Amino acid sequence: MTEQIDKALAREYEAGFVSDVESETFEPGLDESVIQRISEMKGEPEWMLEWRLSAFREWLEMEEPDWALVDYPKIDFQAISYYSAPKSMKDKPKSLDEVDPELLRTYEKLGIPLIEQQMLAGIAVDAVFDSVSVVTTFRDKLEEAGVIFCPISEAIKKHPELVKKYLGSVVAKKDNYYAALNCAVFTDGSFVYIPKGTRCPMELSTYFRINEQNTGQFERTLIIADEGSHVSYLEGCTAPQRDENQLHAAVVELVAMDNAEIKYSTVQNWYPGDENGKGGIYNFVTKRGICHTSAKISWTQVETGSAVTWKYPSCILKGDNSVGEFYSVALTRGRQQADTGTKMIHIGKNTKSTIIAKGISAGKSNGSYRGLVRMNPGADGARNFTQCDSLLIGDQCGAHTFPYVESRNPSAIIEHEATTSKVSDEQMFLCRQRGLDPEKAVSMIVNGFCKEVFKELPMEFAVEAGKLLEISLEGSVG
Amino acid sequence: MSEWLESAITRARGINDWLAPKRAHALELLSTTKWPTRKTEAWRYTPLRSVERSTAKVIKDVVALSPVDIAGLSAIELVFVNGKFDASQLTKILPEGLSISLGQTLENAQQAQALNAFSTIKPERHLFGLVNDALAQDVVVVSVAEGVEIAQPIRISSLLSHGAESHTRVQVSLAAGSRLAVIEDVQASGDSLNTAFVEYDVASNAYLEHYRFALQTGTNVAIGGSHFNLHDHAKMHSTIVGFGSDLSRLDTDIIHAGQFADAKLNAMYLLDGKELFDLHATVEHAMPNGTTEENVRCIVADRARAVFNGRIHIHRDAQKTLAELNNRNLLMSNTAEINTKPELEIYADDVKCAHGATVAQIDKQALYYLQTRGVSRSKAQVMLNFGFINELIDLMPNAALAEWIRPIIRERFSQMEVK
Amino acid sequence: MSNTKSLLTIKDLHASVEEKQIIKGLDLDIKPGEVHAIMGPNGAGKSTLGYVLSGRDGYSVESGSVTLNGEDLLEMETEDRARAGLFLAFQYPVEIPGVSNLEFLKASVDAQREARGEDAISSADFLKEAKAACKQVNLPVAFLKRGVNEGFSGGEKKRNELMQMLLLKPKLCILDETDSGLDIDALQVVAEGVNSQRSADRSFIVVTHYQRLLDYIKPDFVHVLSDGKIVKSGDASLALELEAQGYAWLQKEPAEDELEG
Repeated sequence: MTEQIDKALAREYEAGFVSDVESETFEPGLDESVIQRISEMKGEPEWMLEWRLSAFREWLEMEEPDWALVDYPKIDFQAISYYSAPKSMKDKPKSLDEVDPELLRTYEKLGIPLIEQQMLAGIAVDAVFDSVSVVTTFRDKLEEAGVIFCPISEAIKKHPELVKKYLGSVVAKKDNYYAALNCAVFTDGSFVYIPKGTRCPMELSTYFRINEQNTGQFERTLIIADEGSHVSYLEGCTAPQRDENQLHAAVVELVAMDNAEIKYSTVQNWYPGDENGKGGIYNFVTKRGICHTSAKISWTQVETGSAVTWKYPSCILKGDNSVGEFYSVALTRGRQQADTGTKMIHIGKNTKSTIIAKGISAGKSNGSYRGLVRMNPGADGARNFTQCDSLLIGDQCGAHTFPYVESRNPSAIIEHEATTSKVSDEQMFLCRQRGLDPEKAVSMIVNGFCKEVFKELPMEFAVEAGKLLEISLEGSVG
Repeated sequence: MSEWLESAITRARGINDWLAPKRAHALELLSTTKWPTRKTEAWRYTPLRSVERSTAKVIKDVVALSPVDIAGLSAIELVFVNGKFDASQLTKILPEGLSISLGQTLENAQQAQALNAFSTIKPERHLFGLVNDALAQDVVVVSVAEGVEIAQPIRISSLLSHGAESHTRVQVSLAAGSRLAVIEDVQASGDSLNTAFVEYDVASNAYLEHYRFALQTGTNVAIGGSHFNLHDHAKMHSTIVGFGSDLSRLDTDIIHAGQFADAKLNAMYLLDGKELFDLHATVEHAMPNGTTEENVRCIVADRARAVFNGRIHIHRDAQKTLAELNNRNLLMSNTAEINTKPELEIYADDVKCAHGATVAQIDKQALYYLQTRGVSRSKAQVMLNFGFINELIDLMPNAALAEWIRPIIRERFSQMEVK
Repeated sequence: MSNTKSLLTIKDLHASVEEKQIIKGLDLDIKPGEVHAIMGPNGAGKSTLGYVLSGRDGYSVESGSVTLNGEDLLEMETEDRARAGLFLAFQYPVEIPGVSNLEFLKASVDAQREARGEDAISSADFLKEAKAACKQVNLPVAFLKRGVNEGFSGGEKKRNELMQMLLLKPKLCILDETDSGLDIDALQVVAEGVNSQRSADRSFIVVTHYQRLLDYIKPDFVHVLSDGKIVKSGDASLALELEAQGYAWLQKEPAEDELEG
């Protein structure tokens, strides 16, 4: 039975190809001169360089965290290249026509056509390839609505007042080891500003691709939703199949001003390594949002890739009546290790948070939910509900739950529940007796297990998640 | 390393008795152990300032202290006064099949056996467990022979006078098919410091009924542990009642070392003032077909702080395990604090494991309902709090102990309300 | 008995569960359109027969043969047996949380259609059929959106099994103690559903402990299964006989506890 289930889950990694693009790549190594060069390549103002250097100095003093339930060899930060960009990007193509066709083909192969006519209407895409943004689509249409959606490298130059004010305001430079590293060496990522009272007319999406060997990707995303605005943002990521491990250390900051709403969805499909644990991405990510009065931030993530995942998208519920949500599916197979969860910090009155985390462990993998719910003394009437469910497939994997619950307010209510289960023989037999083959049966049972999370994904993205977990029938009936 | 630990190590190095090999091992581990800080996971919410500042000293003089009377309870009294075993308080004639001896007085063969068993159930990760390994001198060894049921419970009392430091240690073994009830009780006054560890080996088909009353309050520092090893078809039922003090820390470890073992743990703690109580309960399912049920309830008032860590670890071979943990907390004041962390670590697929944790305040509707019936707010609060805890007291197998503890708990609730 | 070709032929079947032999030389021949009741005391192997025929893991056939429409059933995977037209209505249907009934049913119907070389049914058409099936078994349409058997009562689960049968249109239906746990009203609904499905090209094996169900579903043949073998066969009147006299008179060495069961 377990074999059948394993087979059902053992899909090929379809995004594992390498694009033949001539790149300019820094020699491996990290010191202040490398940071100066990155800043120079990006044509950054002096204040940005200073900011990077101060983060780098902090980072040198810090220690790599070891509390997560993941095990990997020590990373040699001097063996990584901190910048790589296609040569064709050097002259900064003005329009799509000038972009290297090989780059466009890469995204097309990944199912993300960048030619606007071919795209799904309603999604604007920023395509980040190694250390640079290749193209950002539908910018004109967004500008009409006053929405700024551009590479962060561009925002630093064009909107310094916004970047200066908010960069590092949610995740401090020395928040943690990887965040500090990211502050020092980040290369590109997306910047979003939604003006007051504006509902962003399209879904915004960034697609991250690592291509070059031995490079790390250090992306930086900053989303500011001004008062009463609304935005839905999607993020996807893939990398070639390589035998060496590659580092991805991103920082995402969200600012939801009064009454604003940000919905942030991720389908993480970095190369997970082969079944013996060779290769794969080390995914060390810091994602955090701050909610002002009556604002709402909703994180939805489907984590299926990476050799090691260390990721805790969080909400600081600072304003009264603000709302934080976290919906997560984390699937680990082979020798993958995922330690992921969320933090909900309740500061304001009547703040509410919901956490639904579904972990599926198969093969020889380990998946952990790690979460923190904190009710500060001022969080009168705050509420949290947490549900963590684990599904184990086979007897060689592990599924773990580490919730931290801290309350300092008697009127706050916290409810946490965790369960564990397996795909039962009875369920498999029922499905097969009705004519379903074992693969279909497993994917159906697993998708049923994840349903509460999938329904949170935007329609357009559910398709990609569906491909990853075979939820082809979901939404087609009923 | 703290001065306190350094001094403990120095003192332990000066002791030479039958436990020397084990002590040497503990000292070796201690010498490489970092003194816990906020970043040490096991002490994340429990600062050790009270230990560092403690002025408690080992008192050599003989002090006369005896355990409190519990109406209706006729126990075999095993009494430590300021860390010294007081043989005079032990019944002269023990029931057949039960032996209670001080380790150093055992005959060679038995002493070798006791030495072998010493500190094999308590995990090495407990810092103060290692301190106790190194400093406990009067180690009492209790054993029940095969198939014997001991009707009278054994009460292990650790009594401390003001300013005393004590380290007590008991080793209990139940042979196959035997039955025994053990009550662990700490009574401390004033500025004292106490580590009290008991290890239980429960052989196949044996049954252990266990109680631990950690009713210390005030400036006392009480750190201890009860550690259980369950063999095939062994059963245990444990009840823990805790009041806090400046620093109270209790670790329990339940190890399913055999198949079809069954463990029940009901713990309740009621904290007031600026007390701190930290319970770390770990269950290791190492073998298949085991069952564990844990209920932990906590009420925290005033400026008190409660810490709970409930870990259930299902090893690769422990298929068909059923394990459940239910943790409910009531927070009564704006300045009190609850930190709870139920953990599941699961490596076997055919198991049923779940945990739930809630933090809330007293049911306002119920409070209102009682008030509309004419009950004063404070009385109503005591009633509701008591109801919350009483469900677990009702599950105590020993009726005399339940009758004894009920009014004590009620009294504590009424004090909570006065503030 | 007519000379039409058999739908199901079981010859000298021996089968075991966890190395314990349960079916010990069973013969049965079912022609299209026939309804066969299999009765017998607890522990006779009634449920085992359904599991063996549908190919449940852990149920192993030691000897004998089973053909469905002339094809070797025992060689087929569980899902292929279903696709060949075998349907088992479970005595205790399992829950599949999160997977909606509708999703599950459409996937099953599509898999079976695909096996027959037919196109998948359109969602709209399927929804129409499924709603009609719900109505027929007296289940609220809302049950289509609920997880498979999730939180259903015993009676609802049985009706849900029946609804699946209506949609899958099998050739051979095995009803495993479908009457257990049903009150008389629910029993009638289930029986009516089954009767509405009786046709010249659909056969039934009705496994039951009690004669009660057979008041509503009139069998063509009644077989008594005892200790893994059919010990007596007859027409519907045999069921009444059993009702009156119990099973004891058919067993060689009746055990005390079985007499009570």
